[in-house]
Amino acid sequence: MTTTQAAPRQEPGAPEPQERSPSPARGSGGGRLTPPWLPWLLQAPALLVLGGLLVYPLLWVVTLAFQDFNLRELRTGGFHWSGLDNFREILGDSTLWQVALPNTVVFAAVNVALTVVVGTLVAMLLLRLGPWLRGVLTGAIMVAWAMPAVTGTYVWVYIFDTSDGMVMRLLSTLGLADPDTTNWFTDRAAFFGIATLNVVHHGFPFVAITVLAGLLTVPKEVLESAELDGAGAWRRFWHITFPLMKPIFAVVVVLSTIWDFKVFTQIYLMPGGSGTNREVLNLGTWSYVTALSQNRYGSGAAIAVVLTLLLLGITLVYLRTLFKQEEL
Amino acid sequence: MRVTSTGARGARGVARGVVGGLAALGLMTACAGGTGGDAEISTADGEVDGSGKTLTVWIMEGTNPDAEPYFEEVGAAFEEETGAELDVQFVPWAEAHDKFVKSIAGGTTPDVAEVGTTWTPEFADAGALVDLTGAVEDAGLADGLVPGLVEAGTVEDELYGMPWYSGVRSVIYRTDLFEQAGVEPPTTWDELVEVGEALEQQDPEMLAFPVAGDSEFGVAPFIWGNGGELAVEEDGSWTSAVDSPEAVEGIEFYTGLATEHGFSSPAATTWDEADLSDAFARGDVGMMVAGSWTPAALLEANPDLEGKIGAFPIPGPDGGLSPSFLGGSHLGIFNTTEDPDLAFALVRLMSTGELAEKWGDQSGYFPGTTALLEEIEAEGDPLVAPFAQQEREAGKSVPVTPLYGQVQGKKTVSAMLQEILSGKADAATAAEQAAAEMDEIFQRG
Repeated sequence: MTTTQAAPRQEPGAPEPQERSPSPARGSGGGRLTPPWLPWLLQAPALLVLGGLLVYPLLWVVTLAFQDFNLRELRTGGFHWSGLDNFREILGDSTLWQVALPNTVVFAAVNVALTVVVGTLVAMLLLRLGPWLRGVLTGAIMVAWAMPAVTGTYVWVYIFDTSDGMVMRLLSTLGLADPDTTNWFTDRAAFFGIATLNVVHHGFPFVAITVLAGLLTVPKEVLESAELDGAGAWRRFWHITFPLMKPIFAVVVVLSTIWDFKVFTQIYLMPGGSGTNREVLNLGTWSYVTALSQNRYGSGAAIAVVLTLLLLGITLVYLRTLFKQEEL
Repeated sequence: MRVTSTGARGARGVARGVVGGLAALGLMTACAGGTGGDAEISTADGEVDGSGKTLTVWIMEGTNPDAEPYFEEVGAAFEEETGAELDVQFVPWAEAHDKFVKSIAGGTTPDVAEVGTTWTPEFADAGALVDLTGAVEDAGLADGLVPGLVEAGTVEDELYGMPWYSGVRSVIYRTDLFEQAGVEPPTTWDELVEVGEALEQQDPEMLAFPVAGDSEFGVAPFIWGNGGELAVEEDGSWTSAVDSPEAVEGIEFYTGLATEHGFSSPAATTWDEADLSDAFARGDVGMMVAGSWTPAALLEANPDLEGKIGAFPIPGPDGGLSPSFLGGSHLGIFNTTEDPDLAFALVRLMSTGELAEKWGDQSGYFPGTTALLEEIEAEGDPLVAPFAQQEREAGKSVPVTPLYGQVQGKKTVSAMLQEILSGKADAATAAEQAAAEMDEIFQRG
């Protein structure tokens, strides 16, 4: 996202920079120094890499979604256009409406909310700490952030192991759970509860660090004068800090939404998450199981396209509402 | 321990393959169209001159705990015979299927590779493997091959995988616990329940017979033993059969060991075979369905079990044996090879005679030729002979069609087991759902 926004900034024809001292690129004699093709040439390596790694696969997934594409086609090449068949199959599949879509949307909503709230609270805590303690705490949450998703997932699965994980031991000592009758991973709510702990734990450090950076820019004088006028902490946050930091929250929420929507590793690697427990499939794991475990690349790609469209839609609506309010 | 040879992948094992799983969809798209001429073997039995050439070979990692010295020996023997060198690469089972698929797409397949028996029809159907029928006949090898492996490697009457080794699941049990409880290995299903009850009575903490939910090959013997089938072929098209009365009764008995008799635990509902072996190695388990390759790994994980492990073939409902999945590996030649004759010379060298026998000894698997198999049975090792008996008398293949690979990929049978074990559905309902899912895949073709 950021890269695509950054690229056109120097596009000729943008009215804004004219007021400032004209850059040599734009000056009347500047053409000699900087021919119009030069910016493109300089961008070429980056554009090539982006094109090869991002645009090409993306377009390929989209074309796959309209084909009947299996292992044979993968070897021999060739196109078997099937029109909207893949989409018809997916939209008519109860797995989408009863399982994958609710699992994806509800999980993302809960996790984005929790991640942002926990991250913001931690950021506000960090703001109040002295430099030394802040360093220690930042270091600690960085470890959570740096841990690879695979490792993190196995740690959480290990903690919640139903025969002798530490949570089960604690709860059974307290008489709250019985390992002879319970397996959390076969229960939809418990399964996603554990996944939520994992994802929020892995995601909140980013929010905390970003929000902290924003909080440091909020002018102290404004907050102080508000306090003198008798505004409590709650009002100061909602009436001063939050409005000032709206762009930062927008970024944090959009990025978290994207990450939590397409969460894959954390679900796939949990017991039952790779397809044996059909209740816990989400769009990501469903797409993977269809495309790569069954070699039905066309259908898998169609699911991926549906996921991408959904995500784009939600992001657009969210950004629109957010910045519309601001303009008013 | 590794489900090897079957294509089923334990969640843990997948870890490495899934690092960056999100990228997977992107990755799979990066490959378009393959190459690969239609290689044919012309000399199956004569001298092949391979001096100055190198064959690339993929071998699955973990079948033989220490495979490198073995392949140094193979390399030396091959160089002596043909003058060609070998470049042997070891591929972990868990990521092998994806790796094969990607290389098939990119035209970068090896010359010769070990191919899990359930993958052979899939790759053959995609046109990636060389037809070995004529070459195997010319070399005079056709008659001595283990029938189950030949069946698994045959697509439309043509053989695409040379049987290399095979393995079969039976029951591994704790001899010391059986002795304490005064019970003998069961020979019928009723006896199996009685033995389980005796073990539970002796130690209620013990899992007498854990039923792993993510193990399709655990339930298969009970479906087959009761006269049921996973799917049946008629006039070239397949129909599911897991919801037949015989199959459902078998499934009911097997899952009933957990839900009715309490020989298992709720945790086992999400176990795969690796988790099952771990529990056995910890000493928590009395009996389990496990492969002939498992004892060595169990003893390595827990040396205290030395002398306390035995095996018996899976009993039939009223005596006899229940058939068990006969898995293993083929040696396949991929059609990207530049020298099919040289490749076949290697296949012949590895799958026959002394080198084949040595591989079996080291890995705990059985050779792909009947002559060698009979030799092993005659030796009568108590941890080997029951498996050899199971393989010879009651070894069975899963439906040999690339479509069944899709059924396995979708984990239809495991999903059915977990539904029943977690109490979400009864055996009949879950089996009906599984059957519908299989039929959908079969009909789509």
